Amino acid sequence: MSMERSIKQFEADRMDAVKIAARLLLASATTAPRVGGVGECTIHILDDECDIEDLCQKVEEMATDNESWQFFLRDAQMLRDADAVLLITSLRSKTDPADINCNMCGKLTCEYLREAEELPREPAVAYPGPLCIFRANNIAYAIDGMISLARNLGIDYGLFWSAGAAAMRMGLLPKNTGFAMAVGISVTEKSPFRDIPLQYAHYNEKTMHDRIIRRLWPQFRSIYS
Amino acid sequence: MAIREMDDLVQHGLDRVVELMALAAHNSIRLGGRNTIKMITVGREEMEMIAEFCFSLGDMSPLAARDGRHMIDLIKEPCSLLIIGDKRRSYFNYDCGACGYRTCRDLNRAEQMESLTARGPSCQFRNINMNLAASAAACAAWRLGLHCRVFSTFGFAALALEIIEDVDLVVSVSVSAAKKDPYFDRHKFWTTEYWEEIFNKEFPTYNRGFIGAIEE
Repeated sequence: MSMERSIKQFEADRMDAVKIAARLLLASATTAPRVGGVGECTIHILDDECDIEDLCQKVEEMATDNESWQFFLRDAQMLRDADAVLLITSLRSKTDPADINCNMCGKLTCEYLREAEELPREPAVAYPGPLCIFRANNIAYAIDGMISLARNLGIDYGLFWSAGAAAMRMGLLPKNTGFAMAVGISVTEKSPFRDIPLQYAHYNEKTMHDRIIRRLWPQFRSIYS
Repeated sequence: MAIREMDDLVQHGLDRVVELMALAAHNSIRLGGRNTIKMITVGREEMEMIAEFCFSLGDMSPLAARDGRHMIDLIKEPCSLLIIGDKRRSYFNYDCGACGYRTCRDLNRAEQMESLTARGPSCQFRNINMNLAASAAACAAWRLGLHCRVFSTFGFAALALEIIEDVDLVVSVSVSAAKKDPYFDRHKFWTTEYWEEIFNKEFPTYNRGFIGAIEE
């Protein structure tokens, strides 16, 4: 077997590993505890690079919707380097409060929460609240279940709410989704979610490759050949 | 060679695991990169107070009453309670809208609502961070072989009794080194007759079949 073929085989196996890992993480997130024992979270896997690109473009688009979301540009760039993205939803936080009157939402009772005016569905609003916080907290347990296993499997991971909000806006998630977050995973030698320099949206592996290899190297070849 | 008895070993092991749980919660993944949670563990005396408080809520909350009764049983064997709390205001400046306010600034300016369970309104992401910490603690306990369950009720009680102070939101992780897992299938709290009565009341059509509208 030539070296080139074995390297291609490694790349194919690496992507298989991503698909298997993503499904195992889904299992761990699904069986993680839920408050009150009531199921309400779903987990969705994006492991096609075109689907991930669509999501990243939506995240980038949202960066201009609210001046607090400038970091969405950085998130999108990090997610472009993810091998898979897992989206975690809370299906009851919007429509089905927990009925325990916990007051985490500040409405004292769940009845008052039901009657509360909802934020308008505007570009500058990521999650039109108020949500039942007690329900939405289930996402924390699902995410930690996922991350706990990712650590055991040696999979690199990153946690992003921007991509969860973007997926909701794209209509990728169940219609009752009130809150969603995303976990990007990567099976690469250098985690794309760590060591992120400033201005990463402008200076990253893709732009460096485009600038140095695709642009300068052909000119160098033309001139010095 | 010094001999250590099983009870001594179990108690010391439990104490060490609780410390490791606190460490796992302290270092758990979080949004915003800042750890603002507050953690304490409580002893038998505080657990008795929490149990009595929960039991006293029986009229309002059967769930709290059940958990109160449960804790009385729990403290008969080696156990511990890790209480994790956090403040309610947002420092993220995400302006995400999940709390029902358009911006974090609006949330932070909103009137604080007091109750026995939590002070709201609170930032969704602070809640997520606090529960990520609780989950990390529970995960550590599970891996180290302790019986474990996350309780909101004990957390609420600890807040109401001011056992944990300077926080607005609380959750608790209860662990036990009992000989039988005490946290699940707690059938002993119900007699068969009571269970059947409450089941038939809550799910009347299950045994009766659906017969349309009922005239009271």
